[in-house]
Amino acid sequence: MGLFLKGIRLPRKVATLDLVEAPLPTRVILPLRQYIGEPARPVVSVGDRVKVGQLIGAAEQGASLPLHATIAGEVVGIEEHLDHRGTTVPSVVINSDGTDSWVDDTGEEMGSLAPPEILERIRGAGVVLKGMLPIPLASDLLPPDQPTTHLALTGEKVVRRIDTLLITALDLEPALLVNRYLAQTGTDELTAGLSALRAVTGAGRTVFVVDKGSPLSPQLTEMAAAQEETTTIISLDGRRFPIGLPVPLIKAALGREVPLPYGHPRDVGAALYDVDTVISAARGIRGIPQVDTLITVGGGAMATGGVVRLRIGTPLGALIESLGGFRGDPVKITTGGPMTGMAQWELTVPITKDIPAVFAFTGDEIELVGAYRECINCGLCVKVCPVNLVPGVLSLYCARDRFEVAERQGLFACIECGCCDYVCPSRRPLVHLFRHAKHELMEGRR
Amino acid sequence: MSLIVSMSPHIRGKTTIEGMMRTFLIGLLPPAMAGVYLFGGRVLTIMALSVATALSVESFIEGVTHKPLTYRDCHAVLIGLLLALILPPTVPWWIPVVGAAVAIILGKMVFGGLGTYPFNPVLVAWVVLTLSWGERMTLFCAPHTTEQVLTPLMAVKEDPALFYSYELLPLFLGDKAGAIGTVCGPAILGGGLMVLLRGLIRWHIPISFLLGVALFSAVLRAINPDVYPPVAFELVGGGVLLGAFFLAPEPVTSPLTPLGMAAFGFLAGVTTMVIRMWGADPDGTFYAILIMNAATPLFNSLTPRAYGRGYA
Repeated sequence: MGLFLKGIRLPRKVATLDLVEAPLPTRVILPLRQYIGEPARPVVSVGDRVKVGQLIGAAEQGASLPLHATIAGEVVGIEEHLDHRGTTVPSVVINSDGTDSWVDDTGEEMGSLAPPEILERIRGAGVVLKGMLPIPLASDLLPPDQPTTHLALTGEKVVRRIDTLLITALDLEPALLVNRYLAQTGTDELTAGLSALRAVTGAGRTVFVVDKGSPLSPQLTEMAAAQEETTTIISLDGRRFPIGLPVPLIKAALGREVPLPYGHPRDVGAALYDVDTVISAARGIRGIPQVDTLITVGGGAMATGGVVRLRIGTPLGALIESLGGFRGDPVKITTGGPMTGMAQWELTVPITKDIPAVFAFTGDEIELVGAYRECINCGLCVKVCPVNLVPGVLSLYCARDRFEVAERQGLFACIECGCCDYVCPSRRPLVHLFRHAKHELMEGRR
Repeated sequence: MSLIVSMSPHIRGKTTIEGMMRTFLIGLLPPAMAGVYLFGGRVLTIMALSVATALSVESFIEGVTHKPLTYRDCHAVLIGLLLALILPPTVPWWIPVVGAAVAIILGKMVFGGLGTYPFNPVLVAWVVLTLSWGERMTLFCAPHTTEQVLTPLMAVKEDPALFYSYELLPLFLGDKAGAIGTVCGPAILGGGLMVLLRGLIRWHIPISFLLGVALFSAVLRAINPDVYPPVAFELVGGGVLLGAFFLAPEPVTSPLTPLGMAAFGFLAGVTTMVIRMWGADPDGTFYAILIMNAATPLFNSLTPRAYGRGYA
């Protein structure tokens, strides 16, 4: 265990203890859906004055989350707006009045809550998992379609028990910093969130995954030592991408294989959350709605970088400007890291809850792939693929529209980490071809 | 400000086709230099003609078919040099010219260029030359002389008992008749290990190839040590070393899954020995690799188990 030899080694930035506080935005755009699911229903109308933390979107069914105002001011519009995934979502636009006054009823004490109440508060705070598959934390803990199969909420028989709570201080990519930063600062909220999540999942033990090269806060070390029988700390090499992604991480830390393509960590008895999510959950349980988010800002074209705290809904362009603008000439701007992020073309898209990072790259940092060449069968992609596929051969099927053959060979097990793209000497856009094939297959089945 | 929008990943590694081919070329330098040292400056002419023909024929074809020129990726240079290394040092000047042209046209370009051909182009050319001008392709000379002698494997083919007359260490070091690049064992091993350590050829193929040859000849030797040569003789007597490190692991025509590569190499080694013992060709390495090339798609179906398969 702890051995993970596939994937690639990427350069990593050292996480420092500096936190950049982005100034309050003058206007925020809050999409009513910032996750995979149904949008919330707006409960304010144009012209209303709102305070920070005030409910502006109400959850309709199990698949939607409530939304809160992130700045104080006036609602100036409820309209369709482009989000960073390229879809248009009904959004609430708020102009700031510059006061930053909060609603009064936040920040109550946690006390001792029963698991169903904890879950209700996490849902009420609108906590979303960051990364490639943004689902509400509450839905990830308790899927709407299989409510009591995994969690011991009512004391009934559990079908598949979660035995391990896996908390990771690794980021999705070595270039991201937030989780490593949080593991170094280690607040009380982290400890509180940990015990709450353990109560909800019913996990008997906690495994804490930390980066080999980054120090851990003394508070966390103490906590792990205090609960020695039930808490283990595993350090892994965070430079080896994609160890931060769920499937390889569970393999490396627990030696378990999530059954792909449609598997979930809970299928192998694990609940996997990162430090950032745990802290957001703890704040949510205390009654503080999610109004700000921590992201990594980087790339050669940004004047300042590092861990940035900002209000949700800040437009991308406004964020970049408030951090000092561009230093070089940006050629590509992504939400998410250089390996898994999404390229943006509009700087008006808002920073939503699911965005882990913003990168602005200069022309030297990225490679522009124009014409790619035939696969030369070198096998480097097989060597790096973390889920043991044969990407080169799969890409040939995908490029020739033989999607069913590709599917039989495991196309849907691909976690889209991009390692095969990274090493390919023929510069084939492998992940692009896989996504295209997956999309075509899914569309055909609708 | 104009922004580029494309799929992730947005950064790329440093491995390129040019880089790979250049590494292979550097790995071939030691055997090539050993060939020049052992057989004289004539060998340089053979190499130069072969490389020049490969480059110009490829560029010509790409020119008339309006395809992008690919001489920069060094693949044609690699084909030309490899072909020269498996020719006898006595060949007339037009053999490398014809051979390189055949390798590029029949071996590579008719299928669509790099990445598409099913058989190793160098070996395709070698087979065409051997079948067309058999007597010229089997004229070997001893190192540092022009005296015509048989290669160890040809001698053993005629009289199996002759293997007693060869000492193994000089055979390994290069004191034998043979094709230009196949005689000096240490040079091939050095160049091959360099490419192996750079991670560009997978260790599975060379190791399993040598293992296949060694195991098969060990079994034969255990049966009758009077008729069958020792294992080391089979390993260093002919083209096995060059084949294992530079011809069998040719990326396009060899499998790409770990298990497939191991099976490919092992069976190629066994086939080499079968041809040596009961076939017409005294060496057999090149034919064995060609035969296994045909089975590469089959070996590719020996895939590693994808995650979660057989679990859910």
